[in-house]
Amino acid sequence: MRGRAAIVGVGETDYATDYRLSRGLQEPGDVRAKLDDLISLAFQRALDDAALTRSDIDGVTLMVEMESEFDRYVKLLALPTLRVLRTGGWLEQVPCAAQLLADGSCDTVALIFAAPFRTGARVFGGSTWQGAGGDSYWYYHPWRWSSQAAHWALMWQYYMSEYGATEADLGHVALTLRRHASLTENAVMTTPLTMADYLASRYVVKPLHLFDICLLNDGAVCILMQRADAASARPHAPVVLSGWGSATVHHAKLDFMIRDRLRTQLMAAGDQALSMAALSRSDIGHLMVYDASTIHLVNQLEGFGFAQPGEGLAFVRTGETAIGGSLPVNTNGGMLSHSYMAGWNNLVEAVKQLRHEAGPRQVNDLHATLFAATTTDSAYPMILTRAGRNA
Amino acid sequence: MRDRRPNRVRGPGHDEFWSYTARGELRLQRCKECQHLNWPAVPEACERCGATHLVWERLSGRGTVISWCTFYQQYYPDVAIPYDTIVVQLEEGPLFISNPEGFTNNQVTYEVPVLVTYIDAEDDAGQFRLPVFQLP
Repeated sequence: MRGRAAIVGVGETDYATDYRLSRGLQEPGDVRAKLDDLISLAFQRALDDAALTRSDIDGVTLMVEMESEFDRYVKLLALPTLRVLRTGGWLEQVPCAAQLLADGSCDTVALIFAAPFRTGARVFGGSTWQGAGGDSYWYYHPWRWSSQAAHWALMWQYYMSEYGATEADLGHVALTLRRHASLTENAVMTTPLTMADYLASRYVVKPLHLFDICLLNDGAVCILMQRADAASARPHAPVVLSGWGSATVHHAKLDFMIRDRLRTQLMAAGDQALSMAALSRSDIGHLMVYDASTIHLVNQLEGFGFAQPGEGLAFVRTGETAIGGSLPVNTNGGMLSHSYMAGWNNLVEAVKQLRHEAGPRQVNDLHATLFAATTTDSAYPMILTRAGRNA
Repeated sequence: MRDRRPNRVRGPGHDEFWSYTARGELRLQRCKECQHLNWPAVPEACERCGATHLVWERLSGRGTVISWCTFYQQYYPDVAIPYDTIVVQLEEGPLFISNPEGFTNNQVTYEVPVLVTYIDAEDDAGQFRLPVFQLP
């Protein structure tokens, strides 16, 4: 399976414009109408990017947040030769699409993610969260402990005690990503952020400040994949899926999450992905990790083995993760400052960097990126490479 | 006066946990195959090894606070902010999310010892006793 599939097209919606418009909403808007617009636009842009047409698309994976009925959106795509349709799931659908391509089930797969988070007034916590996402999301209601942010807060409080870190240390992660976002077209947040701004910002769940938590915005992303041999006929340099890994906490979640910060899972899954790609850590020139929170970026920097435990914050503070540093991380500004597309926007950035089309934020001579989707209990790293090297 | 709380998870396993706290006992399910202490409660099988031979073991109620956080964002409409939550490492091993009783997170320090106590609470399913932790 290694190197058999490549990303040949990407499309994103106008995150920054949509964010400005949705900020004015006083109450939830029409989620389905918004989704129609977002999905159509991201899909068309991906087709244009790859110089493909609707009739080329014979496989679709459709992931639509805040929605349970998908027929409407399948019809909207108007695909004359659709052979395989999948709905739901997350970034693990990228390797699944590679499998559909490798076994000949499809020739071109479109992966479409859409999220009307701002229009739909999505809240990531409280009693409405029942029976989904693992028991840590809904079991502790009687103690009024809930929310995505609270998971990261417990990790960060523990980290400060364990390593003697301070709030300002973590602030450098937010500041670095904001600087990256200022170099990225279409980023939601581009206003320069100072340490004083960071420290003065309100707490969401103390010790985490507003700027430690990812954005909430509307958008859609479309990724087009083909077999690597066919991909070379497309206009942009193909970005090859060279390896992936997966590891999940199966018991004692709080312990693995707070004290281990998923190091066990990140290391295991990272090793799988690197081994499959026949690469070592020193071959990785760029990281795109799941920055739902600043501390989670640090968890992955350390957990994947690019910094020692407790040394991730110093690695960020000294500029190693900045553009021009030894290992640039989340060069688009990530979900903290670019766009919260549940990791899909970070995948697009990996593609742009590996195409060498990232403009002012381009990582020099880049050949391999580690892209990761990492939740509070699971790690899904992927190794993406520029075609022609290690493919 | 009873403390109004967001709803507990109910059902097999969970109901037994709350029936023990009603008697002032903190009990978790010990797996007799792999010795893992399960928390949150499980309906029938050990979360670690899948065995179904589980015994409700009474715990000491002692532990240390290893992490904590304070909610400034209001996730529960009727709960006034800010309020504190703590993570207690129970003497027997598991991590237990709870609330501080008689102290606040401003006074908490890493690995400070705490002891379980119970407050009278109620949710949509009725009255119950909620395990929280105080300084010994």
